[in-house]
Amino acid sequence: MRVLLVEDDALLGDAIQAGLKQSGYAVDWMQDGISAEQALATEPYTAVVLDLGLPRLAGLEVLRRLRNRNAQKNMHTPVLILTAMDTVDDRIKGLDAGADDYLVKPFDMGELAARLRALIRRASGQPDPLLQVAGVQLDAAAHRVLYQDKPVELSAREFSVLHALMLNAGKVLSRSQLEEQLYAWGDEIESNAVEVYIHHLRRKLFPALVETIRGVGYLMPRDKAA
Amino acid sequence: MWRRASIKQRLLALALTAITLVWLGTTAFTYYDAREEFDEVLDAHLVQTAALLVVQTSQDLAELKTEHTPLLHKYARRVAFQIWEKGNRLRLYSVNAPQQPLANNEHGFSDNTIDGTRWRVFSTWDDSGEYLIHVAERSKVRDKLANGIAGNLLKPLWFSLPLLALLLWIAVTHGLRPLEKLASEVGQRKPDNLAALDASSAPREVVPLIERLNRLFVRIDASMQKERRFTADAAHELRTPVAAIKAQAQVARAATGEAERIHALDNAILGCDRAAHLIEQLLTLARVDTLGDGMAKPCQLNVIAAEVISALAPTALEKGVQLELLAGDANNVPKVRGNPELLRILMRNLLDNSIQHTAPGTSVQVGITHESGDICLSVSDNGPGIPEQERARVLERFYRPLGTQASGSGLGLSIVKRIAEVHDATLQMQPMHPEQGLRVTVHFKS
Repeated sequence: MRVLLVEDDALLGDAIQAGLKQSGYAVDWMQDGISAEQALATEPYTAVVLDLGLPRLAGLEVLRRLRNRNAQKNMHTPVLILTAMDTVDDRIKGLDAGADDYLVKPFDMGELAARLRALIRRASGQPDPLLQVAGVQLDAAAHRVLYQDKPVELSAREFSVLHALMLNAGKVLSRSQLEEQLYAWGDEIESNAVEVYIHHLRRKLFPALVETIRGVGYLMPRDKAA
Repeated sequence: MWRRASIKQRLLALALTAITLVWLGTTAFTYYDAREEFDEVLDAHLVQTAALLVVQTSQDLAELKTEHTPLLHKYARRVAFQIWEKGNRLRLYSVNAPQQPLANNEHGFSDNTIDGTRWRVFSTWDDSGEYLIHVAERSKVRDKLANGIAGNLLKPLWFSLPLLALLLWIAVTHGLRPLEKLASEVGQRKPDNLAALDASSAPREVVPLIERLNRLFVRIDASMQKERRFTADAAHELRTPVAAIKAQAQVARAATGEAERIHALDNAILGCDRAAHLIEQLLTLARVDTLGDGMAKPCQLNVIAAEVISALAPTALEKGVQLELLAGDANNVPKVRGNPELLRILMRNLLDNSIQHTAPGTSVQVGITHESGDICLSVSDNGPGIPEQERARVLERFYRPLGTQASGSGLGLSIVKRIAEVHDATLQMQPMHPEQGLRVTVHFKS
């Protein structure tokens, strides 16, 4: 899960980045509106955590431009506004500008992570917090995977790949799309890493879990009769 | 008592006093004027009576048997006469006349008291020089008549004064209604209602009061809005460091690695320092407003500058920044009237800024100079400077230009500006070199 964090305060941004990493997200952190705008224009983020009082370009403007691009591509990037502005007016303005959620500082890291998970679930059309595909259960909040009701030990990256595949069950994900979900900017991308993680998942769960579409990417088949 | 009397009471008292005084004056004037006219008429009457007697005496007196004449009319009682033969034998007299001579002089008017009765007397000799004639009138009668006239003039006053007071009361109450309306309008206002009062229907005398009140309302409104904005800004500004501390602490608790945990804890401590600094600056700003220039005394700027520089030198040296004090002529020490504590805060904030922004390895200079009579305190650095369009904004509370360290409270220059205002000093910012460095100068008016 690759998330964009836009926060101009150095200490707070550092903390949110670290906290979201602990929850298994790959986090890109931008400190001003223009940089956020550029990042959003080039990278597909699973979700955005957006501060409103930003230098160079206001948070609400960043949000409006994102929604314009979303409309052109017929998609919806979940956006959570994280701000010190707490009046009802501010909330209404933020939500009307296209935000999906609104959290006022100071906040709880656990709550921020949970709200992000909920936003991502809703955006992928899977409102159930427990993802279930082909006998595999994934609990994103608890970072736990069960196969045939038995716990399976997965590394953080393996978990993220499985999470992305299950969220997009029935759709083909390219290798680069999976890589984008795994790594934030500045992370060193290991070559063949995705292949390695897929291999591990097949070994730890079952071989038919993920289909390889040669030259295109990977696919987790949807359950036939849900 | 008079000072605390209501306008209504004042107007009534003044109006009634004025009316009474004018009335009394008119009465007195009329009384004396009437008395004079009256005296002249009555005197003429005496003269006329005497003339009649003279004429009659010369013809009939020899045939007259009686010594006195009867009273023919009630008013006749007030006029008396005596006719003295040769001036020494009482030949004829009226019943109301005394036996002794009415007057000692033999010609003209005189006032005499005989047996306790005052008489106005006219004396004359008849044409033959045989008889001395005195015609007299009791003065008391004259007084009574004059007093009657004055009394008649004064009588309406006693009736009309209470009536006038009542009418005046009604008139004044009516006249003061706009003021009462204004008072109740202001009195019934909620404290946060600072809308302008309507002056269009007010009388001319009340308009200046309403205009002043409206101007006051505008000023109060501005200062209240400033306060509100400041409180909102302050709450907003405090939320971010608190959020950072909380988030860092939660990251530390959830951290699996030792390095990650220590990094988060260090950041949490840094966040506490930052919040403490912000609170400190907020309190300073509040204190500038309350302290004002209440404790103004002559301050030696160079002494204060030396103190502040000594306190900040260790921090500066850690960053490789040299601090210099250029105080000019040591014998001619400039003194500024002000609050030394506030001036210290002003210098510390200016120096803090310069130390933070100047390039490492360069120096920050504090200059104290005389410029056309004013005393100037300047702090110069070799940092990136502040672009022209940003210079006004950096003085605003909580404004941080892009790229400023997060540890700044955004209040430093606001505090400097406020302290300068309190000392009636002006603030000036200019680049040291084109596009580089910054010199902040505080001009203290001498």
